[in-house]
This record gives sequence, structure tokens and C-alpha cells, in this order.
Amino acid sequence: MTMEKMLATYEFEQWLYREAKLLDDIDFDGWFSLMHPSLKYQMPVRVNKEGIERPDYALDMFAFDDDIELLKIRVDRLKTDYAWAEIPPSRTRRLVNNVRLLDYVPDEKAVVNSYLMIYRSRSTDIHHDLISGERHDEFIFENGEWKLSKRFFIVDQTTINTRNLAIFV
Amino acid sequence: MYKTNINLEEMSQKEAIEYLNETVQPETGSIPAYLLGDPTIYDLEHKKVFLKTWIFIGHESEIPNKNDFITRDVAGYSVIISRGADNQIRGLYNMCTHRGMKLCRADAGNKSLFTCPYHGFNFKNNGDCVGVPLQKDIYGDSLDKSQLGLHKIRVESYKGLLFGTWNDEAESLEVFLGDFKWYIDIFAGRAEMEVMGPPQRFVIHSNWKIGADNFVGDSYHTMVTHGSIAKLGMVPSATYSKKGYQIHTTNGHGLNLGTPNPDFAFPEELKEEYKSNLTVEQYEVLSNLKNMIGNIFPNLSFLISHTKIKGQLISNTSMRIWRPISVDKMEVITWFLVEKNAPEDWKRRSRESFILTFSPSGIFEQDDTEVFTDITAAASGTMPLVKQLSFNYTMGLHRKPVTEFVGPGVVYDDKFTEANQRNFYRYWLDLMTK
Repeated sequence: MTMEKMLATYEFEQWLYREAKLLDDIDFDGWFSLMHPSLKYQMPVRVNKEGIERPDYALDMFAFDDDIELLKIRVDRLKTDYAWAEIPPSRTRRLVNNVRLLDYVPDEKAVVNSYLMIYRSRSTDIHHDLISGERHDEFIFENGEWKLSKRFFIVDQTTINTRNLAIFV
Repeated sequence: MYKTNINLEEMSQKEAIEYLNETVQPETGSIPAYLLGDPTIYDLEHKKVFLKTWIFIGHESEIPNKNDFITRDVAGYSVIISRGADNQIRGLYNMCTHRGMKLCRADAGNKSLFTCPYHGFNFKNNGDCVGVPLQKDIYGDSLDKSQLGLHKIRVESYKGLLFGTWNDEAESLEVFLGDFKWYIDIFAGRAEMEVMGPPQRFVIHSNWKIGADNFVGDSYHTMVTHGSIAKLGMVPSATYSKKGYQIHTTNGHGLNLGTPNPDFAFPEELKEEYKSNLTVEQYEVLSNLKNMIGNIFPNLSFLISHTKIKGQLISNTSMRIWRPISVDKMEVITWFLVEKNAPEDWKRRSRESFILTFSPSGIFEQDDTEVFTDITAAASGTMPLVKQLSFNYTMGLHRKPVTEFVGPGVVYDDKFTEANQRNFYRYWLDLMTK
């Protein structure tokens, strides 16, 4: 690995940590400001296939399939007084690791894969939900900042063991 | 007065049924909380409801080609639903008849032959046992393969909706659906419909009946639970959900029909197709439809929703089952349906609106799940039983059904009544106490 790629990998790790912190701190506006207007935010439905046939996720059905406008609706909704699913907000802890820089053009674009584990605790529940999966992210460099232009989150369960996805992945 | 030291677990089945008859009073609008939280009731439901009635499996369009199959659950048992080489759809218990191993672990695929992972017994997708490894050598001539066919489950369909039942004495699906078919025609038979993608699945810590109750007749909750949707301008006002009709038929089926709608909620291009599939009266209902929310007993809920997204009106059609896992847990399985002949852009927008509103991330869906979970927690355990907590289902008891509506069933003009929930629990009680 070149020094340049090492530094870039570090930079994206820090980007993802910061993103995790914003979401876990319920700073949705702060989080939303990390997005590029061309955003594609997708979470395909995972399926059980025979043997090792791949891909083992749907190409035509998603739990999230947002562009920037739809994501804005979700963020705005969470700020109304009626977004019961997150009143009070879930306590979440996003653990991001196995960050790998797959493609990198300085000051232009990057492709980053990472693993994500979300711990979610609601209200007084003594049980918690764990949501794990892999992110395929793409970034565009604009006005001196890296913005997320694509997120493709491949969840590790075919039946998602959390009551809803009122949280972001 | 009831006994206060009541314990369903210690009762005989007969006593538990008597207790149900005493305490569940749909006609006067009193439904006890223990129905949602008592394990004895849950076990009895499995035998008396889920093993007796027709349970939704999926849509014919999920297995369009010969040898396509899906695996689904019917009352807790995995079944393979297969379209044979003869184009016939069959339901096979997903269990090898030799030693009981699960034959197929994929959700879907295309296969004419299923091989057991345990000893390699082979079954055709019509259920016939066609191969036993080393048969001649180890069984000689003594093994009659014709006796080893896979166990069958009754499968019938209506307008593409596939249902299965383990009850060989059950009435036919069409008889079971009865007058409700008139509305299913509008929902699932208005055009050639297809399921897009695999169903979405997620788990909620909720008793399954809360979901059925919510869809069968509860439009009242939308004002508050879904208040955020009106705030965002996706529907005109918080009381938007009141206007329309509440309708139920025999066997616990019911729906809320939101009407009128100044806009046509479906692709304009398909008007001729709709007219050719529907009666004049059904088409009139479709033309004025703003939404349709209902439940086919016991646990298939369906929905047509019309909302404004990115400044454009769009409808989406979906179905879900509330699959019981335990007394306080269910798997929600959700399908998105769309007109096969709709323009591609309309399909894309319709799917987008479904995902935004009623998928696991859906902004309607997620607020419901919060409610379901908390109701279940509050109803669980012994206290609600011994303290005889009950819920009030009296809304609209003073009202008379209307007679001039074009469709069949018991019809109320205005959706804010609980007649459908009373009807749901009446049929549930009939089955439980049979």
C-alpha cells in the first residue's frame, strides 16, 4: 500500500467514524449534510439461495431505496412531534470496521467498503437488537469535502430482527 | 363475576373454551387483554385457527415458470410451493418422508427435483419419490417408493393469491372468502398483477392479532399514529382517513375503503384493462378509491395507499402476513404488488412509495410497530387475566349499516367504527370455541 492510499484509508475511516457519531448522537441534520445531492441510498432485501449462488440479495426490492429528496423526507419526519417510532430515540452504537479503500482518485472520487454493526436499545427494553452488514460506499469530493454519493448496505439477515428501520444504516 | 384466581394453564381445554365464551364479548364491544398475552390462548389458536383455516402463502406471479418454487410457512410448517412441469401449482410439506429432514432451504428457485441432504432421497416437484440411493442393494425389492411421496398440503388460489390449509375438511377457498371476493377483485384482480422482488421480512415483539386488528378496521389511529404524514403534506389532513366506508363480511374478513378521490389513483393507461376485469360497480369504486386497508382472516392484511411523494401522487399496493412466532412475537412478511402492464416509470415510482411508506423502513409502518410492541408488553403475563383487563371496542355500536352501497357485506358510511374488529373477534371466537 502506498503512503497516499494509507492516508486516504485513514481519512475515510475517520469520515465513517464521524458519520457514526452523528447518527448515534441523533444529529440527523449534521448527518444529512454529509450527503451528496446525487445520493443513492439502498438496502436490498437479502434472500436465501440454493448453495453459493450469488448475489444473495434482491436486485429489485429494497428496505431503503432513497434519493436525496426521500432521505430528506425521513429526516424531516423525525423532527415532527409524531415520529413515534423514535420517541424517545433508540440508543444506538454504530461500530464501523474492516474499512477498505477499493478505488481512490484524490480530490475526486473514492469507493470504500466497510463492515457495520449496529447495537440498538429501545426505551426500557432489556433485549437489544443487533443489525450487522456490509456497506459499499461511494464518495464524491466537492467544495473541499468528501460527500457520500452512494450507499449500498447488505444486511446479514433475511428476516430483520428489529421492529423497524426507523434508524439509518 | 368471574373467578379472580383464574389460570388458563391449569384448565382443561373445555374449561378454557368456556372461559373464552364467558369473557370475550364482541357484540357488546368488550375484548379482554389476555387474548393478546396468554400462552394457552396462543397454543389453542394454533390448533383451532391456524391449522383450520386458509393461510396466505404467496402470489402466483412469484412462480411464473415451470419448475419454479418458493418455500413458505403455513401454520409453523415449511412448505414447498411448486409449479410443476404440467403447470399445476402444488403444495408439498418440506420434509423428507424417510427420516424427516428439511428438503429445501432456499427461499425460491427453479428445480424439478429435490434431494434430501440426509440420505439423498429424491423427490420430483409433484411430490413423487423417484430415487433412493443404493435402493436395490440395501432394500432389495421390498421398498415401495409410491408410498414415500411427499405429504401434500391443500393449495387453492383466487385472483393470483395462493392460500394453503392443513385442514382437509376446510370449505373451498372461494367459499371461505365468500362475498369478500368482490373487494379482493378490486385489490388483486383489477388487472394482471405481479409481485416485484422477494417479500420483506422482519420481526416485531407483538401478538399477531394486533396487526390484523389494525388493518381490518382501524383507520381511527391514523390521525395520531401517522400524524407525521399529514405534517409532511403527503396526505391532505390528519382526518383524511375518516371518509369512506367500513365493510365486513362473514368469516371475519373486513376492510376500510377510503373514498372519494378526485384523482385516479392508478395508471391512466390501464383503464381499459381495469374495465375488462371488473364489473361496472367495481370499476366505479376503483375510480373513486383513495385507499383500501383490510384483512382476510386470520392474518393476511392488504393495502392500497395513495400519497403525494415529491409533489406527485402515486399509489402502491401491498400485502403482508402477521406470522405468529410465539404469543408475543411475529414475523411480518410484506409483498409489493404492481400492475404488470403499467408503464415502467409508474412501477418504479409505486415501488419507491411502497418502500418509503410500508416497508420495514416505511414511515407509516414504523410508527405502528412501536404501538404493537407496547400493547403486547402490557397484555402479557398473568395480571391482565386475573384483573380482567379488557379493551373497549364499542365505537359505532349505535350506528346502522347503510343499504345503498354497491358492494356486498355489512357497510357503514364513514370508516371510524369498530364493527370490523367486532366481526373479526366474533369469527375468531367461533373458531376457538368450536
